[in-house]
Amino acid sequence: MRIRTIKPWWVIAAFLSGLAFAMFAEELILSTHESRLEFAAPRVHFLVGKPLERLRNASEVPFVFKITLWSGTRTHILREVPARFVVSYDLWEEKFSVTKLVTPRRTARHLTDNAAEAWCLQEMSQDVTGVSATEPLWARLEIRAEDSRESGVPFGRGNITDSGINLTSLIEIFSRPAATTQPHWQIETGPVTLDELRRGRRRG
Amino acid sequence: MRTLLLTGIFVVVLPIGCAPLPDGPFDTDEAGPTNVNTRLIVESVQISGQGSAKLSDPLRSELGEFAGKNFDQPLLERLADRIKKELHAPEVRMHVVKGDIPDHVIVNFEIGVEREKRFDLDLARFLYHSKQGWSGQGHATVNIHENAFSFGMVSDGDRLSERYAGIQAGFERRHVFMDRLQLRFDFSSYHEQWNQTTLLDAAPGDIYRTRTQFSPTATVVILEPLVVSFGVDFARYRLSLPVAKTESSNAVVSTLRYHQRWGSAGDEGEHDIRASYSVRAGTQILESDPVFTRHETQARYRFRRGHQDLSIGFLAGKISGLAPLFERFVLGNAETLRGWNKFDLDPLGASRVVHGSIDYVYRGFLVFYDTGAVWDRPADREQKQSLGLGCKKSGFQLAVAFPVRAGIVSPVFYAGMNF
Repeated sequence: MRIRTIKPWWVIAAFLSGLAFAMFAEELILSTHESRLEFAAPRVHFLVGKPLERLRNASEVPFVFKITLWSGTRTHILREVPARFVVSYDLWEEKFSVTKLVTPRRTARHLTDNAAEAWCLQEMSQDVTGVSATEPLWARLEIRAEDSRESGVPFGRGNITDSGINLTSLIEIFSRPAATTQPHWQIETGPVTLDELRRGRRRG
Repeated sequence: MRTLLLTGIFVVVLPIGCAPLPDGPFDTDEAGPTNVNTRLIVESVQISGQGSAKLSDPLRSELGEFAGKNFDQPLLERLADRIKKELHAPEVRMHVVKGDIPDHVIVNFEIGVEREKRFDLDLARFLYHSKQGWSGQGHATVNIHENAFSFGMVSDGDRLSERYAGIQAGFERRHVFMDRLQLRFDFSSYHEQWNQTTLLDAAPGDIYRTRTQFSPTATVVILEPLVVSFGVDFARYRLSLPVAKTESSNAVVSTLRYHQRWGSAGDEGEHDIRASYSVRAGTQILESDPVFTRHETQARYRFRRGHQDLSIGFLAGKISGLAPLFERFVLGNAETLRGWNKFDLDPLGASRVVHGSIDYVYRGFLVFYDTGAVWDRPADREQKQSLGLGCKKSGFQLAVAFPVRAGIVSPVFYAGMNF
């Protein structure tokens, strides 16, 4: 009988590829602070590409964040919490400013890009009082950059001219997939329990 | 009963339809600006790109007024929209860069180069009128190297005393040798439907079943606000006689147009004047069966300031000779003597017309007053008036109009766009 042995370099390769995946994969990190569930996503950068281009042109860019929490089973939604943030970039200070559109408004100024992104996530923390410490939780974070102007509005000014409704523009709007018009990001994590998080275990 | 039902719908729909549209995609409240750059001062505002020299003086001076003020993105974006509208530019991009002085910025509006849309679809007109029914017109246009080929379909029961439905095709060359000259060839073929009142009033030789028109015209820009068009219009129509007979109405056409705009809708108000005079002469030189001369003059003055929009219109026309029915003047539709039924006023149309209207719109709410008369003989001339209210926003209009007369109040309801 032949005994098949695993070559050591396979083990090393598997370990390295796992490490590389862990390093480069976008991850949602959960942690607890008192009764609040906090979120971090150090590898997700939304102040990039088109939104950043608009920010560096002195425009403000609205972002919509949404946290979805499932408890017990993946089919039971515990909470869905959307929030809107408006980011702007000071051309002279070269720093970001973020305003959370709630009443009353909350604003953070003089931030670097990473700090601005982290502040938004920090503002999404959730009160988990009443959630069993042993109940499995899943979390999803969605971020979407909105168009600052009405280019996507079917009956916006640009689509109605003196000669009538321009159907070509409307067809273009409705045929464009959302992904191409709105930069968006989505990451998930779970299952994890509050007990595990409190013991210091974090999952990606 | 139907009118009462439509009025009921109108009363319900009006407040919803007239609700003001939000100005921006996200909420702002009194808590101050969300854009950190509002602290910066605009050092200068520049405009560059094709056609920037054509910007009107009022708008150019308004651009200059931004210098020294705080950076206001929504206001500057609205200005970009106005530049785009005024210059008919496909795109106006706003670039903001650091100025020479600390905490100052330079704003540059860059007019995008017109990307010729190879294929375009337009719903040029759409209307429901409680007396005349549905009317609609749409076009598809293919652009190839400054040549526009268009094809469209139309069914219109509102503008003339007949309902005409059929196809329209056209070719347009926008610049011929120079920017000031353009050529256009239009072809249309219609089938006619007639109202019973018109059929009863008309002579057998007046009514036609089909109509085909071909019209080559040239347009010359004389001086920037003054444009003249001239050409010929060949029309052939098959009469509804027991023995099929086709007649031709071939006319020399000429139109002089004037359009001037000044001021700004924001502060002191924007003034807009459009006027035109056209003459169509059906002549035997072109082997026309009816020989006639049709004069028509139109003028409209519009004043806009903030949420207010005032418009005063005037129309007058005279036909000498015997013109076919499609050349005759009609009042009592969705544009003139709103509230009156054209078939009650003159089911065949008339050879004389005078009409005036005043429209006032505040935050989308519309009130209007029309007055006018159509007649063939001076003894038939009778001034009519109508009043109406509704809402008007972004080309859409929804209104109910009442003829001013003693006796039964019979309102007319209409809704649609671009009429």
